[in-house]
Amino acid sequence: MADEVMVDQEKRETLKIIGTIGVQCAFPFAGDELWGQHVHVPPGKGVGLPKPTHFAEKDLATLNRVADLIVPGAAAADVAAYMDLVAKRNPEHQKTFREGLEWLEARGFSKMNEAEQVGLLRPLCEAVDKGEIKSAEQRFFRAAKSMAADGFFTSREGLVNTLGYQGNQVLSEFPECVIDEH
Amino acid sequence: MAAKIYDVVIVGSGACGGTLAAHLARAGVEVCVVEGGPKIETRTDFNTHGMPFEFPNRVIPKMRNNKPGFDTERTRGLGGKSMLWNAVAWRFGPRDFEGYTRDGVGYDWPIGYGDLAPWYEVIEREVGVCGNLDGLEDLPDGIFLPPAPMKCSDILIQRGAAKLGRKVIHVRKATLTRAKFGRPACHYCGNCMAGCDVAAKYNSWDGHMRPLMKTGKITLQLDSIVYDVPKNAENKVTAVRFINRVTKAEGEIKGKVIVLAAACVQNVALLLQAGLANSSGRVGKDFMPHFTGGVEAFLKPLIGKPVTNDEGFLDHAYLPSFMHKEKRDYARSWGAQFNYQNRRSVGWARTLPGMGADFVKAVKDRYPAYFVFSPYGEKTPDERSYIALDPEKKDKYGLPEVKKNLYWNENDRKIFADMQRQSVAILEAAGAEIHQVYKEPKPNHEIGGSIMGKDPRKSVVDSFGRTHDHTNLYTLGGNILPSASEKNPTHTFMALSARTAAHLVERLRKGEV
Repeated sequence: MADEVMVDQEKRETLKIIGTIGVQCAFPFAGDELWGQHVHVPPGKGVGLPKPTHFAEKDLATLNRVADLIVPGAAAADVAAYMDLVAKRNPEHQKTFREGLEWLEARGFSKMNEAEQVGLLRPLCEAVDKGEIKSAEQRFFRAAKSMAADGFFTSREGLVNTLGYQGNQVLSEFPECVIDEH
Repeated sequence: MAAKIYDVVIVGSGACGGTLAAHLARAGVEVCVVEGGPKIETRTDFNTHGMPFEFPNRVIPKMRNNKPGFDTERTRGLGGKSMLWNAVAWRFGPRDFEGYTRDGVGYDWPIGYGDLAPWYEVIEREVGVCGNLDGLEDLPDGIFLPPAPMKCSDILIQRGAAKLGRKVIHVRKATLTRAKFGRPACHYCGNCMAGCDVAAKYNSWDGHMRPLMKTGKITLQLDSIVYDVPKNAENKVTAVRFINRVTKAEGEIKGKVIVLAAACVQNVALLLQAGLANSSGRVGKDFMPHFTGGVEAFLKPLIGKPVTNDEGFLDHAYLPSFMHKEKRDYARSWGAQFNYQNRRSVGWARTLPGMGADFVKAVKDRYPAYFVFSPYGEKTPDERSYIALDPEKKDKYGLPEVKKNLYWNENDRKIFADMQRQSVAILEAAGAEIHQVYKEPKPNHEIGGSIMGKDPRKSVVDSFGRTHDHTNLYTLGGNILPSASEKNPTHTFMALSARTAAHLVERLRKGEV
């Protein structure tokens, strides 16, 4: 009994050695490799957006306010600076924003209370949701919403703190899914 | 002193060039690999673990350390596109080699599955492919490491598909699920296509060439963009001529055999530029990249559920082709990959309706449930799909721009319509809220342009990638496939490269070249 076990173990040892040699002959892997030194640095707190250069100070305030009404939290993530970043490279966007800001200005947007501001934007949102994008203010709303969403959900506040992103970690195994059946 | 003449000069260092170089070096053949880009340091040159908010413009740069941008068009850099691929590794099935016989459309291969099967096995044993033994005739099993478990979303899709009698299987990838070959196992950080910083995902440098550098048989000629392949009076090619990417200085490297392995479109462009191998007039013709559709959806059972870390190594499951066995009004077939984006991008958020707190809640609820169903169809050849050189426009190296002409023929359109329809049906059976159904096919993996065949009047190369016109000029890559299959092609490229390596070793031994 004991002998058999020994033989078995010996055999296994031999197989293991042959296995190793086989691999090394096929691919003599350099022993100096540094994969073991992989250091996983968790994502940083995030860096600020570049200082806005396209929009005026008061326009940035208006844009942050609009963004915050569409995506609450967007102003805290300074999404207006993201809009500035995107718009300054794109004349089309610049026109859309200029017309939108004029439209808001003409209606006294910055002096309205929150309910009035929402009341002004809500019909634009409904029209855009229906795919009705004809007027300058509808075009503006669509652009503002797109950039507010993009800007916010690429920020640490949006992606990690609001949505709860969990990835970009080091796992030794991928976890089996447990679906709650009952 | 006379210039050195290498046994084999390989243009390109990706999956094909890397496999070929390693196999030749192992057999003692002197190889020079001419690569258009710089050396890429796998561990430090990629932003694998980058997050958008770490960069001022919210865009994660592909490369660090001032390395030139990598892109999937003309990727230049050691390892080529194998650095950025998603590592899906299928064997083609027996039917993929006999498309014309079965459907009366396109071409048969000059070889069959049986000719390539041993070479698929060679590749699986030396690069490491994970997967499940599924026993499918059309997706032959191989030598596999254990598969990564399916994600919850995959299991939901698997159950939905089962209701319609369709099978969903574990994906097979050249990514290590166990440490092997001195490379560590995947750590499921979920950003494979940004470049794997630990080389758990195969790339041709860490997986094939680097371990063999100590043989001294591989010479790397980096930053050298090949623009010409001169030939002699006997119609044999003699060397490659290149421009240095940085200094623009010109140079030449001589070889007994020249192999173009610079990826599909570039291989074809080089043949056209050099005026080689085109007695058939078929160089550039028969261009048939895969086309993708796509359906975005939210899986209802996951809406509002806690977010988990399920990025994994991107897609963990696959819907194999089934239409090839059923009555249909088109030739060929399609299969589908799932969810190969990660959860770092929420570009779909802006497309949800509403505003205010309700809008943010809708995004948050759907965040763990977002799912992209990506079917891949096989394009069949037509005369309106071809690769050509632009007669006027030149790139920054003074080389002609390459123009890819693509036309979706009637058969392509029928496959596209069917795969979109059935993708929606499977998603609905899985309990999904359909968000967006893509309206137009998009080209993907590049296939064709100088296909292999038995008849030198209708094809450009033989099954070893040897051009019919020049006995010592070869090409490897998507360009030589006479049909695309719907399956991700790189495993087949590598198997063909290993087979060609053995053929070249034999020819060199016999003194034929």
